[in-house]
Amino acid sequence: MSPNQPRSSPTHTPEPSWSRRSGVVIGTGALSALLLSACGGGDGGSSGEGETLSVWIMEGTNPDASDFFSDVEEAFEEETGATLDIEFVPWGAAHDQFVNAIAGGTTPDVAEVGTTWTPEFADAGALADLSDLVSEDTREGYEENLMESGTYDDAVYGVPWYAGVRAFLYRTDVFEEAGLEEPTTWDEIIEVGEGLKEHDPDTIPFPVPAAQHMVTPFIWGAGGEVATGEGDSWTSGLDSPESEEGIQFYADLAVEHDLSTPTASTWDEADVQDAFAQGDTPMIINGSWTPDTIIDANPDLEGNIGAFPIPGPDGGLSPSFLGGSHMNVFETAENPELAWGFVEMMTTGEFAQRWGEESGYFPATTELLDDLQESEDPLVAPFAEQMNEAGASMPVTPEWGQVEGAQILPSMLQSVLGDSEDVDSAAQDAADEMNEIFGQ
Amino acid sequence: MSVPTDHLRGVDQSLDRPARRRGKGLLTYASANRRRPWMLLLPTFIVLGLLLLYPMLRVLILSMQDFGLRELVSGDADFVFLDNFREVLTDSTMWRYALPNTVLFSVACVILTVVVGTAVAMLLAKLSGWARILVTTAVMTAWAVPAVTGTYVWIYLFDARSGFLTHLLSDAGFIDMATTNIFSERFWFYAVATLNVVHHGFPFVAITVLAGLLTVPTELHEAAAIDGAGAWKRFWLITAPILKPVFAIVTILSTIWDFKVFTQIYLMPGGDGANQEVLNLGVWSYVSAMSQNRFGLGAAIAVLLTLVLLGITIFYLRTLFKEDTS
Repeated sequence: MSPNQPRSSPTHTPEPSWSRRSGVVIGTGALSALLLSACGGGDGGSSGEGETLSVWIMEGTNPDASDFFSDVEEAFEEETGATLDIEFVPWGAAHDQFVNAIAGGTTPDVAEVGTTWTPEFADAGALADLSDLVSEDTREGYEENLMESGTYDDAVYGVPWYAGVRAFLYRTDVFEEAGLEEPTTWDEIIEVGEGLKEHDPDTIPFPVPAAQHMVTPFIWGAGGEVATGEGDSWTSGLDSPESEEGIQFYADLAVEHDLSTPTASTWDEADVQDAFAQGDTPMIINGSWTPDTIIDANPDLEGNIGAFPIPGPDGGLSPSFLGGSHMNVFETAENPELAWGFVEMMTTGEFAQRWGEESGYFPATTELLDDLQESEDPLVAPFAEQMNEAGASMPVTPEWGQVEGAQILPSMLQSVLGDSEDVDSAAQDAADEMNEIFGQ
Repeated sequence: MSVPTDHLRGVDQSLDRPARRRGKGLLTYASANRRRPWMLLLPTFIVLGLLLLYPMLRVLILSMQDFGLRELVSGDADFVFLDNFREVLTDSTMWRYALPNTVLFSVACVILTVVVGTAVAMLLAKLSGWARILVTTAVMTAWAVPAVTGTYVWIYLFDARSGFLTHLLSDAGFIDMATTNIFSERFWFYAVATLNVVHHGFPFVAITVLAGLLTVPTELHEAAAIDGAGAWKRFWLITAPILKPVFAIVTILSTIWDFKVFTQIYLMPGGDGANQEVLNLGVWSYVSAMSQNRFGLGAAIAVLLTLVLLGITIFYLRTLFKEDTS
């Protein structure tokens, strides 16, 4: 019996990062073997006869994606003669896995990459420049914000595949019983929250976690910025009076108006979603892709969920982060034309539309988006409105990944919600930390 | 000295006979004899060198480089020598959170693990039959539970809204459930982590100390009891001195493990870097390297962590050897 046994993971090397790393590198070894065998059969042309294209797709976007991908594989093989080797990667582990693969030279040919990671990987030299492969028409067909976040140093490194946006979800039945209406200003959010509490003292009227994508709408809504860029140099805007006003409003929903619960301060968005599905809270901010999952978890809620865009301080809308995924071709791809062919097939036309329908996300071409705006679905139209009228993106800089990695916004909120700092000093600290990362 | 050499030569003569015949017997014999232990150790050295020494050297080099994602792709990196260390040592996170958290947490864990482990070992030594089997099984179960699973169980027990233990704490007046999230407060966060780590670590101490206890001659205890020594006195005057080497080993090992706890902290709410107040050195190193792509900085933290541990281990070993010789 080795004395190392009692603590399983952090024992065999002095620092866990490396033990973890080697594990994943070994894990991707199998993939590189596949890649090697794929190169052997290739004829180098864009037809792709007999070639294999390795693809990483994020797991869980579409809970049951097997039918979709078997149809994609069939269509792609019919068109190009190449076969697809699709591997599913869980979101939580994805960033690390990409970094490990980049280190080991075992990146796939094509991968779905979170929109905020594209500049980071492009800057590192891991992504293939697609500028010459994307035709002008195709390029203009994609949603503008998302296309911009795939462009770095005037070169295209990723094209949008699908998008999502966060807005309010609420229980229509609870609102009706309590005699409440959808709020349209910030003051009304507080009024509605207090009304919900009066109606049911045990409920959590509106959970306030230390989550980045839940506070940014209020920062932007108050007229603040997360960061502003001039050329290559970026400066944090978190410590501006406007940003602080937004942060203060968000935090006060919990601290001052007691609409949240202390537990919620360490929740992530999935916990918020669970609380809503379990009926613990009647009003949350959550993604446009979540209603299906919520109804799956609690079928009783079917027909009792509504959505509305995030109101502005005095009416209008507060912008919300337009997130989603790019499809990127990696520098290691043997046959970039073939890889781009696959990307184009996935991100435009029939498959893009079907993916949107099945996953609950929005497709990322303006043509498909326009169709959705007309939708009658009460869980689609408000999100489409939020996306079209008030979408926003995070700073398009390679350093943004580091800012997220350092959890600067959650950390700031944590200290405000935990009452250890006031908004002004917490925002100041966060801005300093962010500027330090930008300045490196 | 002559006796063992003669004896060895007797064995070796037969092996070295051809060489001896060529008249270089003594020399070859001596050098072969010197080389042999190294030859036997060589496979171990190669394996250790590849698995342990190379990664450690790599981390050391990395800690002196400005190494990010870009360098990961290109393979070259600029040497910045001690810049990373300077950054770590001047960062307030180090002095306000990471170092105090790591040190206080591991001191608490080591003391509790050894005390609880020893107490359980004494209990096991007293028990017999089915009671011993029952307790041993319970202890082994705590040991067998993977760190990840164990951590989630504790998180569940301390959940701020519905956790069983949170309710108990609240009823006993230690916390106010309406306004407290245990995991966002530094003291409570580490209290839960300590429970988790001690619960997971005491079985090893218990089993090791039990093995030591069984070697203590019962006559000593009987004689002391006749002389009028109580249980407490017998423990300090008989058991403790005999088991000193065992205690030294479990203390050193526990210190090493508790100093670099990662999983149990990282998985707790806010422990992944979202709450700076609860960072420890292990998590800080991981977050810097893997989440922020600052591999050089992460490596520097890891090197510092290793140095501190090395210092503590050397201190322990020296105290141990000093007492042995005196």
